[in-house]
Amino acid sequence: MESTSFGTFIQDNLTQFWELTGFANAEFGNFVMLAVGLFFIWLAIKKNFEPMLLVPIGFGILIGNIPFNHEAGLEIGIYEEGSVLNILYNGVSAGWYPPLIFLGIGAMTDFSALIANPKLMLIGAAAQFGIFGAYMVALLLGFSPDQAGAIAIIGGADGPTAIFLSSKLAPNLMGAIAVSAYSYMALVPVIQPPLMRLFTTHKERLIKMKPARAVSQNEKIIFPIVGLLLTCFVVPSGIPLLGMLFFGNLLRECGVTTRLAKTASNALTDIVTILLGMTVGASTQASQFLTPQTIFIFFLGFMAFIIASSSGVLFVKLFNLILPKEKKINPLIGNAGVSAVPMSARISNNLGLEYDPSNYLLMHAMGPNVAGVIGSAVAAGVLLGFLA
Amino acid sequence: MRKYIALVAVMLLGVAVAGAASRKAVRINEVMVSNENSIVDEYGNRSGWVELFNSNFAPIDISSIFLGYGPDSASMRNNLYPVPLGDVNTRIPRRQHVVFFTDGQPNKGTFHTNFVMEPGNFIGIFDADSSLIDYVQIDANLQTNQSYARTVDGAGVFRIRTGSDMEGQYITPSSANIIRDTNERIALFAERDKNGFAMTLMAMGVVFTALLVLCLSFYGIGKIGAAVSRMNKARANASDGAATVALSDVEHDSGEEIAAIVMALHEHLNAHDTENTILTINKVKRAYSPWSSKIYGLRQVPEHHSAR
Repeated sequence: MESTSFGTFIQDNLTQFWELTGFANAEFGNFVMLAVGLFFIWLAIKKNFEPMLLVPIGFGILIGNIPFNHEAGLEIGIYEEGSVLNILYNGVSAGWYPPLIFLGIGAMTDFSALIANPKLMLIGAAAQFGIFGAYMVALLLGFSPDQAGAIAIIGGADGPTAIFLSSKLAPNLMGAIAVSAYSYMALVPVIQPPLMRLFTTHKERLIKMKPARAVSQNEKIIFPIVGLLLTCFVVPSGIPLLGMLFFGNLLRECGVTTRLAKTASNALTDIVTILLGMTVGASTQASQFLTPQTIFIFFLGFMAFIIASSSGVLFVKLFNLILPKEKKINPLIGNAGVSAVPMSARISNNLGLEYDPSNYLLMHAMGPNVAGVIGSAVAAGVLLGFLA
Repeated sequence: MRKYIALVAVMLLGVAVAGAASRKAVRINEVMVSNENSIVDEYGNRSGWVELFNSNFAPIDISSIFLGYGPDSASMRNNLYPVPLGDVNTRIPRRQHVVFFTDGQPNKGTFHTNFVMEPGNFIGIFDADSSLIDYVQIDANLQTNQSYARTVDGAGVFRIRTGSDMEGQYITPSSANIIRDTNERIALFAERDKNGFAMTLMAMGVVFTALLVLCLSFYGIGKIGAAVSRMNKARANASDGAATVALSDVEHDSGEEIAAIVMALHEHLNAHDTENTILTINKVKRAYSPWSSKIYGLRQVPEHHSAR
């Protein structure tokens, strides 16, 4: 009798334990998402596509899609209030990771190319047309204006900005928007070169630009201060992103806060990148992520990238019509107007070298590239101002 | 040391001013004098009530403020109800409301005042230092089950609300005076800008304007910087007795030009610049900062005392 009840006790507990395991709670969607996570990790490790982002996101997808019994109250899911993952996810949902990343970006970005040749800022502005082109397409597909705005920001090619804006405008779509933004950022080397070839002639690709003038330390110090005041007076809703970006840059350039700049650009950025990537990945739980809307978001993200890259290149061609011959801009740097720093500038450089091995475009492309960071933050501020 | 004390004093003053300023954001938002079918208190009783609104975008603790009541604005100070300390519910979240029952029974709890309101009288909020934060004279025509409420939370004018189902007539204790089921801005964009063209036009206009202004500013700053550097160069040349260089002829040398000149000198003249072989040692002066001082980061070595 005693041995039977003991056996029943063991059996009951094992049955209960089985019900808590991932095997008992698995659904088809979980396996799909686990495959997506593994694919991201494979892309990062084997193909070297943005490994700093795709490894945390890919692993986060694995973490977020291990099935478990949601009704057991174990406080382990990312959407369960009080769970460790939920606490870490607060930086995404409340939108304070992205400004910290912007602090790091500011501290590691040299704006010299932009200061030396300020007209390159306009390329960064033109590339933001990708955002609003995608906004129009999203409206056509039936998204509401706030959702369309959150999705369209993918065209800025700026993950932190996309997360920041979607956390404010469409929190329910944030996982899909973030993964889409980072995926396309990783695929910039695949998406942009065909467009750059399509919209430029052989002659245009050979344009050699004058080396940029030397920029004084004073100009570098003035830039973040004036940049902050001018852009934020126009778009106060961009303060969290632009404020931190320019603050980080001042730490870098002022020369008396080297330690702070180093921390912001290295340790702090690394920590926040790890947490941001992992929690964004973990937020893509199959039940939330595998919806028809996600497919639309990926499609719109792709559209946004194409429009942004193309409009940057086409704007340079248009701009060249009014520029004197010796000041013409190589349209191969137009793609760098999206703020995938420094990947898109590197693509400009590589493509330029392909057609003329002595034509180094990297420093020229860095101008629109960092202008794109400012431009996408301004665009996010505008969308937030209009739609929040 | 004085500098640090001054800095700390300024920071404390800033915190004090900010703290005080936040309580100034509390507003009387809605008042009901005679209540027969509106909300009940925690004891199941109905009485008049006053709703306060935190118009700030940060939480405010209203403990130790006073609710004043009287037949005129001056007499409000003579009949004050102090909001008790130590009640967690006196912390009003951002843009939220709290209701006090004006039943004249303060022994029932924090949210029961020591006065009962009548139409035509005044009710006000006073800060802990007795300064008036907000007040309203209740409309003398206010009837039973009607409220006297702001048209917009924390702002706008007071109007009588009848409690009917018509828009703007709802009685809304503990909730917003305007009940919105949609975001008006988004609804407006959805209605008036179906294809997104207006948004694109406006937003791209703003983005271009912001970056164009930045661009023009840096053209200006660059020109000023170049002019200053030309002046400095000219001044240095003049003081060295070197040949005067026409200011307009001086341009920034590009790295490539400098590299080409150096290469040419090296190739054709085999020239080297001559070092003056004088070694100068300058004392590097660093400003003291307690943040980087090692004495605060190191433990004192304990003294060794041998017992004899």
